[in-house]
Amino acid sequence: MFPTQDEISAWLPDLLGGLSISLQVTGLSLLIGIPFGLVLALGVLAKNRLLKGVSLFLVEVGRGAPALVLLQFIYFGLPSTGLTLSSFSAAIIALAWNTGAYTSEIIRASLQSVALGQREAAEALGLSRFDELRYVLLPQGLRVALPALLGFSILIFQGTSLCFTIALPELVSRAYEIGSTTFRYFPALLAAGVLYAAISIPAAFLVNHVEKRAGLYAQR
Amino acid sequence: MDGAILYLREDDRLHGRVQPAMMPASTDVLIRLKSLSKHYGTHIVLDGIDLDVRSGEVLAIIGPSGSGKSTLLRCINYLEPPDGGIITIGSMTIDAARPVARAELSGLRRRVGMVFQSFNLFPHMSVLRNVSLAQERVLGRSRAEADERSMQLLKRVGLADKAGQFPVRCSGGQQQRIAIARSLALDPEIMLFDEPTSALDPELGLEVLAVMRELAETGMTMIVVTHEMGFAENVSDTVMIMADGHIVEKGPSKDVMRNPQQERTKRFLRAVHDR
Amino acid sequence: MSAADLLPLLRGLTWTVALTAGAFLIGAVLGVPLLAARQSRLWPLRFLAMTAIQIVRAIPPILWLFIIFFGLGMGVMPISPFNAALMGLGLIAAANMAEIYRGAVASIHFGQWEASAALDLGRWSIFRDIIAPQAFRVALPSAASYLIGLMKETAVASTIGVAELAYQGNQLSQLTFRGLEVFALVGLFYVLLSLPIAWLSRVADGYLRAKVAR
Repeated sequence: MFPTQDEISAWLPDLLGGLSISLQVTGLSLLIGIPFGLVLALGVLAKNRLLKGVSLFLVEVGRGAPALVLLQFIYFGLPSTGLTLSSFSAAIIALAWNTGAYTSEIIRASLQSVALGQREAAEALGLSRFDELRYVLLPQGLRVALPALLGFSILIFQGTSLCFTIALPELVSRAYEIGSTTFRYFPALLAAGVLYAAISIPAAFLVNHVEKRAGLYAQR
Repeated sequence: MDGAILYLREDDRLHGRVQPAMMPASTDVLIRLKSLSKHYGTHIVLDGIDLDVRSGEVLAIIGPSGSGKSTLLRCINYLEPPDGGIITIGSMTIDAARPVARAELSGLRRRVGMVFQSFNLFPHMSVLRNVSLAQERVLGRSRAEADERSMQLLKRVGLADKAGQFPVRCSGGQQQRIAIARSLALDPEIMLFDEPTSALDPELGLEVLAVMRELAETGMTMIVVTHEMGFAENVSDTVMIMADGHIVEKGPSKDVMRNPQQERTKRFLRAVHDR
Repeated sequence: MSAADLLPLLRGLTWTVALTAGAFLIGAVLGVPLLAARQSRLWPLRFLAMTAIQIVRAIPPILWLFIIFFGLGMGVMPISPFNAALMGLGLIAAANMAEIYRGAVASIHFGQWEASAALDLGRWSIFRDIIAPQAFRVALPSAASYLIGLMKETAVASTIGVAELAYQGNQLSQLTFRGLEVFALVGLFYVLLSLPIAWLSRVADGYLRAKVAR
């Protein structure tokens, strides 16, 4: 049932290589996706009809379709328009889109949670709309959004496992490959599961901690 | 408890022949606390409270916030288990130093009704169901029996017309009167009131106080934590002042309110009066 | 692409619905004892439930399906793709529903527990008469959005060969070489599927709120 000592040492480099790709995809998707989410959030709140419409469309599709379908749309679908992407780039574009769509909702909700009085005070002081956003709304809103954003980051890390379907050699692909060559599926997949848990569980505790501290801040 | 003495005393009191304070306190003590104590960590909330309450007595507990008066009330029915001391109610004795059996706890809570500052009605049930539920579940009454009794009680607090409504449709004062009816439905021997009017506008508080005054006149034993000095002086038989987990002063209500003996009491009453 | 091409997608749709409903039902039912264990007074039981919930949620759904379908299916006893997916997603749903229930129970004002205790309602009555009905109402919107999330999650079942929507889309795109349209259509189907769930949740919530607004 469980991997033997020898198997662990034989598989570990391969699995860690896969984990490294999973983490790279996670990092890049968040790095691109969260700023994209901010842009989408502002776009949805914008007065310009076109900007609002495009933003809403990107958010609704990015949230409404399964991440797996977004991945396949970009990896298998785009080539018919003449745009062929590597599985790595396709993974980052799809997951960044997914991240942007979800985080835009998180950011929008937290911007709107900033007390009306704060906005009125900023206007009374004669701050421009940009300065109001930059100095009043964003610092307070992002602090509220932080726990949810961190929580979502764990989901994106797990979401990288979907890249198995576009032949990206991330953690699940490596484990599956080991399983299919050795017919030791269960131990190989279990080892991958342990690696996922080794990152997700401490991360979940961290999010919990941040959440509690943010809660304390909110009470003040 | 001696039934005959109880009856006489009720009779006397209702006809105003005997001042409550002059009534004999020895033979019919209904609830007795012996060195009841409670602390949170190193902070002592109740520092060995000794207290006797006679059957039919209305005791008002007043004092500054943080004095332990609410905690005292909550310890009596074990919403917060005390750390030590002995609670005697009628024939039942609970030693707080020992773990309490489920059956004992159940017996205690049936004898003691509780009314909360924030009413705590069940928002997802009709007013009638709020009053009937415990009768069915705890006393084993049938639905019809329970509803009949509930209607009597709702009439008594003047809210029979609200029976089919949900609590959210009632004013705060009405909700608190329903909460009183809900407590009475288990036929308790003692009623505890934890700042029953503090969450209410003064006007709505009056209707709750009126129901409480009526209850007092029927001879119900009541312990009331309150900020209503009028109630303490005019409705209760006895007033007790608490501060820092101690009893500062206790005596017939008119005496304590008009002519306090302790410096701490004078200071508290002055502060309340100045507000 | 012709209308005939749509047929497999519609067939896939029924499998997606079946898998979603089945996994959600398993999760909604198993979530209750899991929460009870999570809140138990016995610490070993509490610890066990907490750890189980953590582990189930820490591992990606696709890996769970692989562990069950390939790991158990090849090593212990053969299992059909649909049953493997149902088991895996049901397990994940149970852990998530237990957490949703926990949040709902925690949101109930402590005064409700105190009033129940003061009335000497027993543990069972407090749960059945007071806490569960109120928690159900609080949990409804989160459960509905989780149901929508779970519906999208079922797309991973395509990787072990369940002929649901994403699987049919994949096949169709390979057959027609028109991935762009096919996957756009598949994505649209998922969005359309989520609409009635969102609508029902809003209606139910509105009905309960109107009856017993707080």
